[in-house]
Amino acid sequence: MAGLDELNVKEGVEEETVEAVKSLAGTYKYGWETEIEMEYAPKGVNPDIVRLISEKNDEPEWMTEWRLEAFARWEKLDEPSWALLNYPEIDFQDQYYYARPKSMEEKPKSLDEVDPKLLATYEKLGIPLKEQMILAGVEGAEDMPAEGRKVAVDAVFDSVSVGTTFQAELKKAGVIFCSISEAIKEHPELVKKYLGSVVPVSDNYYATLNSAVFSDGSFVYIPPNTRCPMELSTYFRINAENTGQFERTLIIADKGSYVSYLEGCTAPQRDTAQLHAAVVEIIIEEDAEVKYSTVQNWFPGDEEGKGGIYNFVTKRADCRGDRSKVMWTQVETGSAVTWKYPSCILRGAESQGEFYSIAITNNYQQADTGTKMVHLGRDTKSRIVSKGISAGKAQNTYRGLVSMHPKAKNSRNYTQCDSLLIGDKCGAHTVPYIEVKNNSSRVEHEATTSKVDEEQMFYCRQRGMDEEEAVALIVNGFAKEVLQALPMEFAMEAQQLVAISLEGSVG
Amino acid sequence: MSTAVKTQAALISADARPASGAWAADARADAANRLAAMGLPTRRDEYWKWTRPDSLISASADSAVVLDYEGEEPLFNDVDRLKVVFVDGVFDADESDALEGEGLEIERLADAAAKDIHWAKDLYGVLEARGQSPVVRPLAVHNTAMATDGVVIRVTGAVSRPVSLIYRHEDAGSDAILHSVIRLEEGAKLTLLENGPAAARFSNVLEVDIAKGAEFHHVRAQGRDHERQAITHMFSQVDEEAVFKSFTMTVNGKLTRNECVIDIVGDNAVAHVAGAVLGDGAAGEFHHDDTVFVTHDAVACESRQVFKKVLKNGAKGVFQGKILVKPDAQKTDGYQKSQSLLLDDDASFQAKPELEIYADDVACSHGSTSGAIDEEALFYLRSRGVPTPIATDLLVLAFLADAIEEIEDEDIAAEVTERLDAWLARRRD
Amino acid sequence: MLKINNLHVKLEEEDKQILKGVDLEVPAGKVHAIMGPNGSGKSTLSYVLSGRDGYEVTAGDATLDGEELLDMEPEERAAAGLFLAFQYPVEIPGVGNMTFLRTAVNAQRKARGEEEMSAADFLKFIRAKAKDLKIDADMLKRPVNVGFSGGEKKRNEILQMAMLEPKMCILDETDSGLDVDAMKLVSEGVNALRDEGRAFLVITHYQRLLDHIKPDVVHIMAAGRIVKSGGPELALEVENNGYADILAEIDA
Ligand SMILES: Nc1ncnc2c1ncn2[C@@H]1O[C@H](COP(=O)(O)OP(=O)(O)OP(=O)(O)O)[C@@H](O)[C@H]1O
Ligand SMILES: [Mg+2]
Repeated sequence: MAGLDELNVKEGVEEETVEAVKSLAGTYKYGWETEIEMEYAPKGVNPDIVRLISEKNDEPEWMTEWRLEAFARWEKLDEPSWALLNYPEIDFQDQYYYARPKSMEEKPKSLDEVDPKLLATYEKLGIPLKEQMILAGVEGAEDMPAEGRKVAVDAVFDSVSVGTTFQAELKKAGVIFCSISEAIKEHPELVKKYLGSVVPVSDNYYATLNSAVFSDGSFVYIPPNTRCPMELSTYFRINAENTGQFERTLIIADKGSYVSYLEGCTAPQRDTAQLHAAVVEIIIEEDAEVKYSTVQNWFPGDEEGKGGIYNFVTKRADCRGDRSKVMWTQVETGSAVTWKYPSCILRGAESQGEFYSIAITNNYQQADTGTKMVHLGRDTKSRIVSKGISAGKAQNTYRGLVSMHPKAKNSRNYTQCDSLLIGDKCGAHTVPYIEVKNNSSRVEHEATTSKVDEEQMFYCRQRGMDEEEAVALIVNGFAKEVLQALPMEFAMEAQQLVAISLEGSVG
Repeated sequence: MSTAVKTQAALISADARPASGAWAADARADAANRLAAMGLPTRRDEYWKWTRPDSLISASADSAVVLDYEGEEPLFNDVDRLKVVFVDGVFDADESDALEGEGLEIERLADAAAKDIHWAKDLYGVLEARGQSPVVRPLAVHNTAMATDGVVIRVTGAVSRPVSLIYRHEDAGSDAILHSVIRLEEGAKLTLLENGPAAARFSNVLEVDIAKGAEFHHVRAQGRDHERQAITHMFSQVDEEAVFKSFTMTVNGKLTRNECVIDIVGDNAVAHVAGAVLGDGAAGEFHHDDTVFVTHDAVACESRQVFKKVLKNGAKGVFQGKILVKPDAQKTDGYQKSQSLLLDDDASFQAKPELEIYADDVACSHGSTSGAIDEEALFYLRSRGVPTPIATDLLVLAFLADAIEEIEDEDIAAEVTERLDAWLARRRD
Repeated sequence: MLKINNLHVKLEEEDKQILKGVDLEVPAGKVHAIMGPNGSGKSTLSYVLSGRDGYEVTAGDATLDGEELLDMEPEERAAAGLFLAFQYPVEIPGVGNMTFLRTAVNAQRKARGEEEMSAADFLKFIRAKAKDLKIDADMLKRPVNVGFSGGEKKRNEILQMAMLEPKMCILDETDSGLDVDAMKLVSEGVNALRDEGRAFLVITHYQRLLDHIKPDVVHIMAAGRIVKSGGPELALEVENNGYADILAEIDA
């Protein structure tokens, strides 16, 4: 009976899911608001606002110019309409582009100086800004070996980074992990070299807007031949009303390095929709590897479809070096509208890109998400596993591109897109683009759409589970391949989320 | 932009439209207006990103050398059929059989259009117009406005022999526009054969209305002239328990775009559309595009899309296929397969196999693959003494088999296979 | 324990009557076997009792310890103590066998107002039961029934039965697909569960299983009805002569 003991931890994970379904009332858990005095830039966006944001961040002239150029380009662009998304027109002038807790006017020098209200906020979110061994909120995590269980956190609150943990320890390893605003000041040579090099300033409408107005975000640099000694994470919290969050993340993995990066997001429950437009750029040099995991749990709007975050995100990894590797894993359960295509440019020979995604939409949520795998180098490999789950009156679209360029000889792609429909008022769509321009490469794409299998449901119920439990169990099984790609801490949270997101979807 | 506008104006002017009786004049004027409103396709259109529309919308056709078939027996020659021959888009009465047959009424579109009242009024341009949403197909609208001839068929019972439309190409500069409408009454059954290159540039629209329990079988071969270009549209409405089955074989041709728009409107209906393509860029350009849109708007229907392309020497293949399942189309069984075999490094394949599904009790799926010939299978054959070229061709035919299997009539399927094999054999030595 | 009274069942989607008046009573502590030609309605009976969709009860009723079964949801029947070992166990990709069982055990306990089982207890419990049935750790880890051989699936059904400790166990052709040793294991598993408070309804085609699990009563089902009941010797008769004689006797 060897093996059963190890099994316990893993299997326990799913147990949590079922428990979560039972114990939680099915409402969004992070919908509360922190009462804190804020300062805002005037509503709307124009060159003055762009300058103001730059000034608030104490930026050098070149950065201000970069932003202004982006703004000029943005004004010439049209909002894209090709996604299968249907939402009221966004008034980009009716938003705040900068909101900062007053207590953050003077940037705290250490975590001890951070406003207790902010610390309490993260504590309540389950992300205490303490240099602790394990991510809080994970039961049973105490039993895990302390080794490798440290997680450094950069906490972004509305427009500013509140603080970053474990900076000193990371520094010892040569790793730079700080807010992007800090990096612009402290490491201008790196920022100048890499910012906008993967997602060009005018890449798309939202990315261009982000380039003009991003207020903060995270910066990571892993030096050559370094394995980052702990997981890095950024936790994004939108708190202020009518305020857009525009964060920018830049990750550079130098030759032969490795890092695993996690990202989490939540926002208060409000009647009006809020805008979030982020850009993430990752540069991966020779033999380096980056794992980027997201659990996106922005407020999804209520059962009537009121409120929620409009989430327009551009994420791209450039595998520049030979044998470089990137793995995107995302669990998208939140947001009223999701527009997001984390992509891989496989430039280096034998580079590899992977994309694992679970997108769950319930009630009136809409998601149009997927990936692009652009194979430029020879012997490159990519793998896409996308699991879409649609319930209520939601619409869920996988949109992806796999492109084999003429020089990408002997490359491989495998894509599996599965959609599950729960109820007859929702939709599930698959829009893959496949472009193959050499014959030594092989592309395989498979997609299926179906509802939860009735035989499986009956089998579970014959064994005593009620409908909701049975659905949660089957859906978690359906999404297993993606859940397994997540780091342990996230996997647990994600499984619970899967169940919670589907509350009220059956019967 | 300005040239396109000019071209468009030239294409649809009232004077340019064929003279016709009241109902057809109305249908044509309506199409001209619709075209003016939607404009001609441009490369920026989502559905034209992989196929250049330029040579299809230019004011006159690029000339295409007429292929010498060197006495080769025409396709379907052994089939007992009702022949209707068009030469460069012009009806050839001498070569055609008398337009009559058991279980059907058949006449030329030109004749039907000359009348002031005709049953075809309810179909001509009607299914086409319905097929303009959610994706516009301007070249079909253009065809409705401009088609000079075609056939109008009403099938009332079981037809004893297939109707065979033969499209000959004799004039290197011909620009043919044909449009046929077919109505299958309840329980009727028809096989339609189409073959031949038709013209240097050929625009063809087929509107097929299939009533309850009726069956429509369609086999098409698009002619081997290397420089020919074709834009074809098929619009079909499939009612309760009706069957629609269409297969197209394409070898050669500078540019071919086959659009197929199927609306399944009655419960328990079946719609299959398939294509087998062999493209060799060595003998001239080869670009082949299958654009398919199947809408399920009824309960418990089955649809299949099976498209196979074998490409080499710079040949380009495109597949844009969609299954749309409307909210109440429960128990839909939809499958879509698009595969390409790239025989060398210059060939390319682009595909967009889409699913858009609004009903939950469905089983829909698609598979799309692209790659080279299976080395292991090739080795296996060679190890048994089969020379590489023959082994390769065997594997090519095996690859195409799924699509060919969609042809109901075994003799016709065998003849199609023979032709594909001959095409491969000609390139072997 | 289980009382079936004049049960008539037709398919929901078709006008096809499958059960045409089944009468059956299985008292607590007893083992009853049902045999019958293919298509006679044995599986249908087991599905209807456990609440599968697709059937319509046109007449009759069924009770478990006096409780009306047919009004309950499938999970309520399970919590009331009804267990069905499926003729064709269902595969659930991605869901670990352990997770599945633990979810089921705790769901039933909760429904009965009992304490849920702790992780440690559960582990101890399943380990012991799995060992008895020679089910190894690997099989518990794998997704429910996915890639299991025919015999493994059947053993897995018995494992679930052992874990859930139901009152009324229906085994639908649990013996088919089992090798000789597995048959013994499974029978031992069943026999171990035999007690005063529990009853079994064993659907089978072969005497072999009944050599191991001695039935108290054997019923013959044909064309949607129980046409003959008797002692264990009835099974032997079927084994030796087939159904022809019995059916002829009834027609006569
Ligand atoms: N969902 C269904 N649709 C159509 N026919 C059905 C359905 N369910 C059962 N039947 C039919 O009802 C009859 C009884 O089937 P059932 O599975 O109960 O037989 P059985 O006695 O268990 O047979 P076996 O010994 O082969 O397992 C068969 O004729 C079967 O085909
Ligand atoms: Mg049975």
